[in-house]
Amino acid sequence: MVTATDGLAIDLHDVVKFYGRRVHALRGVRMQVGRGEVFGLLGPNGAGKTTLVKIIMTVIRATKAEGTILGRRIGHKPTLQRVGYLPEDHRFPPYLTGRQALHYYAALSKVDRRTRRRRVEELMTVVRMTEWAGRRVGTYSKGMMQRVGLAQALMHDPELIVLDEPTDGLDPMGRREVRQVLADLRGQGRTVFLNSHLLSEVELVCDRVAILDAGKIVRQGRTDELTRTVRRYEIQLEGGDLQAALEIVRKALGRAADESVRLVGACIRVEEVGAADIQPAIDALRAAGAVIASISPTRQSLEDLFVEVVTGSPAPAPPPLPGAMGGQGK
Amino acid sequence: MTQTLAIFTDAYRGLKARKMFWIVLIISGLVVAAFACLGITAKGLKFIVWELQFGPTTRDVSPDVFYKSLFVGLGIKFWLAWLATILALISTAGLFPAFIARGSIDLVVARPISRWRLFLTQYAAGLLFVTFQIGIFCLASFMVIGIRGGAWEPGIFLAIPLVVCFFSYLFSICALLGLLTRSTVASLLLTLLVWFLLFSLHTSEVGVLAFKFQAENELARIRWQIDKLDARPPASQAASDAQTTGAGQDPSAGERKRLQDKYDENAKVAKIMDTVGRVLYGVKTVVPKTSETIGLVERVLIRTADLPPGKGPSSADRPPDGWERGEGDSPADTRPARSRSNAGAATRELAHTLRSRSVAWVIGTSLAFEAVILLLGVWVFSRRDF
Repeated sequence: MVTATDGLAIDLHDVVKFYGRRVHALRGVRMQVGRGEVFGLLGPNGAGKTTLVKIIMTVIRATKAEGTILGRRIGHKPTLQRVGYLPEDHRFPPYLTGRQALHYYAALSKVDRRTRRRRVEELMTVVRMTEWAGRRVGTYSKGMMQRVGLAQALMHDPELIVLDEPTDGLDPMGRREVRQVLADLRGQGRTVFLNSHLLSEVELVCDRVAILDAGKIVRQGRTDELTRTVRRYEIQLEGGDLQAALEIVRKALGRAADESVRLVGACIRVEEVGAADIQPAIDALRAAGAVIASISPTRQSLEDLFVEVVTGSPAPAPPPLPGAMGGQGK
Repeated sequence: MTQTLAIFTDAYRGLKARKMFWIVLIISGLVVAAFACLGITAKGLKFIVWELQFGPTTRDVSPDVFYKSLFVGLGIKFWLAWLATILALISTAGLFPAFIARGSIDLVVARPISRWRLFLTQYAAGLLFVTFQIGIFCLASFMVIGIRGGAWEPGIFLAIPLVVCFFSYLFSICALLGLLTRSTVASLLLTLLVWFLLFSLHTSEVGVLAFKFQAENELARIRWQIDKLDARPPASQAASDAQTTGAGQDPSAGERKRLQDKYDENAKVAKIMDTVGRVLYGVKTVVPKTSETIGLVERVLIRTADLPPGKGPSSADRPPDGWERGEGDSPADTRPARSRSNAGAATRELAHTLRSRSVAWVIGTSLAFEAVILLLGVWVFSRRDF
């Protein structure tokens, strides 16, 4: 948990944004991002994530905003010289080459010509766009645009980098490269604020996350704490009647018709149970002649947490694919 | 400075990337070439080497005035103030809608630069287009007038700030509309509509002034006739009366009454025209004066004395045309001639009135309007969520 105010890159207390009288995009957001952290912002569509990012970057004016960015009040323009930004669905002027685009945006961030020349070549190499640097942006693919976008966000050597969906449009290799760039930035002591739909990626790279839902932060904390190993077991059977097996387990654990014992795919998932507690269930299954393929403790993923927080109930099992599910009685 | 230069460079690259930039440049070259091909000799006009033997000769107008008139009439009034302006508006109308397009604007406003500065720099960058185009055109015209007309007239370069000024009135409106509508087509069409309204306002005022001066000249002529009647000796008047009527009627009284009625009627028209003219003048004071701004180029380059007869302002102490006609001339005989001369005098007075309007009024009030529009643009741009 971040506590010291001077150690915060972003410190928001009460950010409110109304569009007209009816749309309340943000309803008093409180959020803290420590310096040197990689911080992930999660939330369903329409939660207000992009609005919050745009308020931080002064693209949108908040109805009410209290807090600081790199120690200065929100909206303080000179501070943006220390902040890099990659917007979602950004567009560069199509008549510029990749190199010219980097020069242009860096010049807007007051980077001198000599530094720009050096940084352009460095960053084009980092995002693997050296060969395309002299081509017009209008000829770039979505992935290339994303790479150049990431490069422009880093051109002025910012302390805080705000990235809105940075891996959007990138192939798996590109995503891995972006993750590597983020890891390098963390290694250099920079703060990264990441807004992404890709929960698995956020889980991989972020130190801390916040989940925004309906304009409010509903959960915030360290990623490893939020996705702590829960006392959960999954029992996979080989053939047999899964529904009957489920009833056997419930009976053995004394949890009749309980959601904490349920079918997830071809597995029986038992929540809030220890290794000793699960033994009666195993004995009962074996006594009933069920063939147990595996029994494994599982960890709650960020996705599970996200679904749980947003919907208010544990993540449901994915719908079965036609013909792909076994588990019916012999 | 780095930021301003970056915006200027980007705007220049953006405009250069459009085909219209090159099209305007090529047509500008053709216009200059066209009037370089025309010449004037003692026999008439000359096209390259061919004597056309019609039109003005060097006896009517000197070669330098001929070329300067061509530059003003064809180059400025026709090309720069109409066609090139429309093409320039087409080129630059998309500047602000593209600037604030979703995805583009985020990258620009999230920088350590204030929004008002961004807006105004982008606006100034848009003006670069016309400045560059007009600069090239004026330089080429300067060379043509110098080589062909023998007059190296540096005043030609005054057309650059004046035409840029003229364009800036329209571009400020276009920028604001582009910001409000986010549409290139809508902002362009609405700007052209505003321009048309401004032009109509000017044309209406000119028409009203012409009517007013014509009515005032007519009033002066009738007054002169009434005074002449009143000054006639009573004896000769009585004799004349006896000869013509012999029935105790006073024909001069009838004539006087007719003239007085005509005078009153014209006075009424002149008063209405004067009121309407004042209203139109008042309206024009607060809106951009596109036609008058372009007219300043002519005022600077061509002196009244250089103008051919009939185009200069009338002399204040000159007796009104046609007044010397005899009293006995029948109205049917004299009216067309009077009408022509009266219209000529009115035209001269109109030209004199328009030329006598101060530069501060023409440019100053137009720039004040532009400043208000730009302030509105800055306000909208600064408060908008992108």
